[in-house]
Amino acid sequence: MKKDSGPDWNALLVRVGSHQDKAAFGALFSHFAPLLKGFLLKGGGVEPEQAEELVQETMIKVWRKAPSYAPAQAAASTWMYTIARNTRIDWLRKHSKKNQQTDELVAEDLFDENEESSPFTALIQTRNAGNIKAHLAELPQEQLQVLTLMYFQGKSGQEVADELSIPLGTVKSRVRLALQKLKLKLSPTGEDQQVVYAQ
Amino acid sequence: MIKNHPPTQFLADYSAGSLSLAPAISVTTHLQFCDQCREAVSGLNALGGELLNECDGVEISSSLLANTLDRLDAPTNSAPPSLSTQSGTSALIDGDLANELPDYLHKFVGRSTLNWRSLSSSVSVAPITVGETDYELALHRIEAGGKTPVHDHQGTEVTVVLKGTFSDEQGMYHEGDFLVREAGDVHQPIAAQNESCVCLSVLSAPIKLTGIKQVLNPFMRFNPS
Repeated sequence: MKKDSGPDWNALLVRVGSHQDKAAFGALFSHFAPLLKGFLLKGGGVEPEQAEELVQETMIKVWRKAPSYAPAQAAASTWMYTIARNTRIDWLRKHSKKNQQTDELVAEDLFDENEESSPFTALIQTRNAGNIKAHLAELPQEQLQVLTLMYFQGKSGQEVADELSIPLGTVKSRVRLALQKLKLKLSPTGEDQQVVYAQ
Repeated sequence: MIKNHPPTQFLADYSAGSLSLAPAISVTTHLQFCDQCREAVSGLNALGGELLNECDGVEISSSLLANTLDRLDAPTNSAPPSLSTQSGTSALIDGDLANELPDYLHKFVGRSTLNWRSLSSSVSVAPITVGETDYELALHRIEAGGKTPVHDHQGTEVTVVLKGTFSDEQGMYHEGDFLVREAGDVHQPIAAQNESCVCLSVLSAPIKLTGIKQVLNPFMRFNPS
């Protein structure tokens, strides 16, 4: 796996968690805050000032949660992605008129972040990261487009289908093909549960 | 061995953050049982991380870092604490059930007393409130050997088996199995003879019972309060 040039973000994040090291936090901030802002703006529906608010919220959570960060389980960028995603979910829910959000649930309650890391998960994590880096640039534009809409804009498969005026089945198959190219694991069930019964 | 898993798109929507609360809870619940899907989600999250890495950075205000640093030492703001930091809630669940649920679910289920309602002699349901109106989240319990009414779906129903087994026309389902029933599917779940079955279910729209007009419609048609 090709090693990233530049600082070891994972190690810096560990240092933030173990020593409340503000210099390490500052270095992470300088690198990731513009990426997070770009990520949020690319999603649309967020004004630049709001994007900065969300970036700040995300980075404060990063600071608070850093003690629970386990580099064997996820790269710093992956871990930050999940925190940014959860921050955006909460923000969107707060601003949604559809659901009355009187509830105190927050997105981090939905996702189980307290997974144990084992040598096995570390191995998978390293392998996934290497494969994604190696093959992301090879993805056909149409597959990348679907992933971009899903990850940046938080659109569901159905919403992507609506936006691109293509059938949902096409979205699903592009996602599957992309994941296969990136050598990521698909659901054991595949797209349709019927696959199981055919076995 | 778990045979029924969330479809790939479901896991991708979960990882990308577009699933609503109740379906997301059903996926995390499945992950408590399923290493394979956990691995798939870990890969999907890593993809999110790499897309973040590859994103074109946008310049941020020069004061943002200083502002953020100032706030780091501030006491936790008014944002509600995550449920995972709360404890002692499972006392609200009846004792037997508490042992049957994955720890993860306790934080949702234990927030208020479960209100079990009988739907028939062998089926009961307890809504779980998560503050969402698009979906109905509930626990279902089918007593040993009990049958649910035959019903079909106007919306999608997700079921995760938490304890015991049940079967329908298409197969038998065990702990951790994740089933999706689309609108138009008709089925009649039956619990195994030897033990009761507890499931988590998520319904996107009311179901209607086949053949019995209206009478038993409230099988799942409760209104989350």
